[in-house]
Amino acid sequence: MKRFAFLLSALLYLNGGEIQAQQRTVPPPPGATSVATPTPAAPQTLIQAPAVATRPNGKIQKSLVRITATEVEPDYRAPWNSGAIQRGIGAGFVIEGNRIMTNAHVVSNSRYLTVERDGDPNKYPATVLFVAHDCDLALLKVASPNFFKNMTPLTFGGIPELEAVVSAYGYPLGGERMSVTTGIVSRIDFQPYTHSSIDQHLAIQISAQINPGNSGGPVMQNAKVVGVAFQGYSGDVAQGVAYMIPTPVIQRFLSDIKDGHYDKYVDLGLTYTKLQNPAQRHFLGLKDDDRGVLVGTVIAAGPSAKSVQSGDVLLSIDDHPIASDATVELEGESVEMPEVVERKFKGDVVKIELLRDKKPVTVSLELGSVWPYAYLAHTYDVRPRYVVYGGLLFQPLTLDLVDAYQPTDIRIRHYFDYFVTEQIYLEHPEVIVLTNILPDPTNSYLAPYRASIVDEINGQKIRTLTDLAKAFSETPDRFVVRMIGDGPPLVLDPKEVESARERIKTRYNVVSEQNLEDQPARPTPVDQNKT
Amino acid sequence: MRAFRFSLALIGVLLLPLGMFAAPKKEPGPATVVKPKELSLVRVNVTGQPYDYVRPWQKRAAFSKRALGAVLPQGRVLVTADLVANQNYVELERAESGEKTGANVVVADYEANLALLEPTDKKFLNGLTPLQLALDTVVGDRLAAWQLEATGALVGTEGLVTTIQMTRYPADLGQFLTYRISISMQYRDNSYTVPLVKNNKLAGLLLRFDPRTQVLDAIPAPIIAHFLKDAETQHYRGFPSAGFGFFPTRDPQLRSFAGQSGKAAGVYVTSIEPHMPAAKAGLKVGDIVVGVGNNEIDQNGNYVDPLYGKIEFTNLITARAFAGDTMPVQIQREGKTMQLNLALDHRAADDYVIPPYNIDRAPLYYVLGGLIFQELSRQFLREWGANWLKDAPQRFVYKDRFQSELYPEGNRRVVVLTQVLPANSTIGYDDLAYLTVTKINGKEIKSLADLAEAVKQPLDGFIKIETEEDPKQIELEAAQVEAEAAALQQNYGLPSLQRLE
Repeated sequence: MKRFAFLLSALLYLNGGEIQAQQRTVPPPPGATSVATPTPAAPQTLIQAPAVATRPNGKIQKSLVRITATEVEPDYRAPWNSGAIQRGIGAGFVIEGNRIMTNAHVVSNSRYLTVERDGDPNKYPATVLFVAHDCDLALLKVASPNFFKNMTPLTFGGIPELEAVVSAYGYPLGGERMSVTTGIVSRIDFQPYTHSSIDQHLAIQISAQINPGNSGGPVMQNAKVVGVAFQGYSGDVAQGVAYMIPTPVIQRFLSDIKDGHYDKYVDLGLTYTKLQNPAQRHFLGLKDDDRGVLVGTVIAAGPSAKSVQSGDVLLSIDDHPIASDATVELEGESVEMPEVVERKFKGDVVKIELLRDKKPVTVSLELGSVWPYAYLAHTYDVRPRYVVYGGLLFQPLTLDLVDAYQPTDIRIRHYFDYFVTEQIYLEHPEVIVLTNILPDPTNSYLAPYRASIVDEINGQKIRTLTDLAKAFSETPDRFVVRMIGDGPPLVLDPKEVESARERIKTRYNVVSEQNLEDQPARPTPVDQNKT
Repeated sequence: MRAFRFSLALIGVLLLPLGMFAAPKKEPGPATVVKPKELSLVRVNVTGQPYDYVRPWQKRAAFSKRALGAVLPQGRVLVTADLVANQNYVELERAESGEKTGANVVVADYEANLALLEPTDKKFLNGLTPLQLALDTVVGDRLAAWQLEATGALVGTEGLVTTIQMTRYPADLGQFLTYRISISMQYRDNSYTVPLVKNNKLAGLLLRFDPRTQVLDAIPAPIIAHFLKDAETQHYRGFPSAGFGFFPTRDPQLRSFAGQSGKAAGVYVTSIEPHMPAAKAGLKVGDIVVGVGNNEIDQNGNYVDPLYGKIEFTNLITARAFAGDTMPVQIQREGKTMQLNLALDHRAADDYVIPPYNIDRAPLYYVLGGLIFQELSRQFLREWGANWLKDAPQRFVYKDRFQSELYPEGNRRVVVLTQVLPANSTIGYDDLAYLTVTKINGKEIKSLADLAEAVKQPLDGFIKIETEEDPKQIELEAAQVEAEAAALQQNYGLPSLQRLE
């Protein structure tokens, strides 16, 4: 399920060496105090920890892996550049089939990976077997057969009970060797997964201290993995709030890749609201049985587009009654309604009973992903897409672009925020922004056009970056580029642009003038899709 | 002792001729600029109480401002309009005696930021010398900022006029002529409205001052003169505008696209505001405006002013013309030169779909079972403070900025649900806020009056509210809303559940 409520405070990744924060809020009323008020810190005293008599989880060193990833972060402001090189440390653990499980964010954008294990002085090169950015999980393989000798694969448990004691293992800051922290299960709930930033899945909050470097490490209970440590709040926002990816999410990932390909999470492609107002329930013809949620927006590019309408009341999903607070009962537990969809795969069919104009209707939906959401999510392992023409840099509006430029332009922000919910993608599957201008005599007067959105070129609607590249590849007498909104057209003389091409390329070191495809940033390993 | 005094007098005599020689150099000595022969200022004490647009049924706490007013002929006092915005009480005070009287606001123009006051006691200004206007200020002139000490003594600080240009005034509507003055002025308790004086004549009024850079922007005398002349008429009309957006034609590619072949000149018309003079005269997007009132306009949008040299042509419309005047405009359309006659008019704040300012007027609202509806205004968005563009609900900021694009038909308001007061009828709706109302009971809503009318006709006992944003629909039970109205009003201490006028 995609997330539209914004994060109220900063969530951090726990990947050593890399900290990414995200902060977006619904505007509070003027004069309101901030929601995330830092609580005063308790005075720090050193308490002697009680000695742990036994090690309930066995010798984890036999399964734990230290991962060193060298990453190249793409540069959205100069997208032809390869980007900044940085290194991070994360944890991983061996599972059956000589595979290493870790977080996607530990290995994202990586160019070179090495793994180490306890008691072995060697560093072993590793490669990514599968990566799932939407649930922040990845599997690695190591070519050297020696690596897995004497390693014990870990097995998975279920969802631990609230208040159950769990231990987190990894390589957080504070030292070189393996670290163990313990805590209890504090909360089991849907949470945003900050790696993609748009996805929201089940996550378990634990009170065990986890810090940068814990990412990808196992969280254990009774010698079984009950989660993968992945994110938490930084100390200045909230203390002792860490999250792990629970086993239903892990198992779903492992099932999804069984066919050798990761298909991503599926979605209903609609927004809904709770139906707790008695008058509204009467109006919609509902009984006093506390059931049903109201459909707000049906995403035209999603699986529900043909069979669900705005104003429908969803009553049940796969025969699980939907309560008016948008929960369903699943295996005796009350969970959020999307959890039913969360456990499904691409192509699976879900049955929905709904009320339309007070009449019951039953529909079946074939689940799939909703492509416009991809523009609102972080992308990894791909080079930024762009076109440079006459020193003008055109790029599609994506979350990564917004992060890189932090645009203040009201129209750009609106087109980003409402890309999916206002179905802007129907007219502009890609919102092409003139993001930057490399100054040259051919574009001397064009600075005021910066940060505008391309609508048409010579009367031709520009729907994608490819459309734009195609339009510019022709040779009319002049290009008249119409931007969205009131503003003068941007007029270019193709002959002048042509004569400036080499000059601009050389002066600004523009290695390549365009990248139109979502090309992988690194060569695909030949064996990537074989398990 | 005697000898000493004598020598002082001698110096005085020796210096005098020097001063006389210096005079023709057009550098008025401090004595002439700073020291008025007679006092021409009064203190103005204003108690203001703005409306609270977030809680539209109440006013904010009252607060007082102290300022200076420039005494003008006919017993009137000039101040900035900001000073008297949302005023409850205006009082004039003689600086030298402390004597006080009440005053009325005769005219206030919040766009030009000027207001004219009149004492209730007609004789109150007797003995003060009315200021004449100095309309001839040019770059390089020295102006004195007049302030009063607590004792009533006059303090003059001199500054240099460095730039004369068109800038946006606080109301952020159109461009007005502005003097920029470099001056090291102290803040005094009456710094709100500071008159700027040249040779004992009023040259301008402080618009804004940045103590860090010591740059002062002043509302210039020509704008004041325009305001005063308009104020003499029966109905004050306000500064005129033409109602079109423009862009310089520096880019030869753009000129060639617009069909201009000869020398570079004029501005490219990018937008036409509906129902405005330019639209009525037939100006079109893509036209190049090359002359206004027979003044040639260059490719940067400037004309050559006899006093200021090159300055943006909008000055010809705001300062040199009045609402009701006909302004000939020379344009090039597809290479052909033609003339359009624009019947200039003032665009009132009320003529916008989302009004740019609402001052001295209570915000309209309608409380329906705990749902609070208001008409969207920039005044509401400004409640988020100086950073309202970033902090206010972004969807509404977008609607305000692009209102003529989003509501080209005009002649309407945007009704929004701003907040919900939890009550029995709004259970489950508590988190709703900042929604745009499209229909109520099937009827289109283009004003709060439409809403008040539409809620009277429920559908089978229900009031159905449709919104642009999720949840798309909200329902209330008409009978329940009616039955609980009194309790709701009492519970939240609302003086009234609606204000439609």
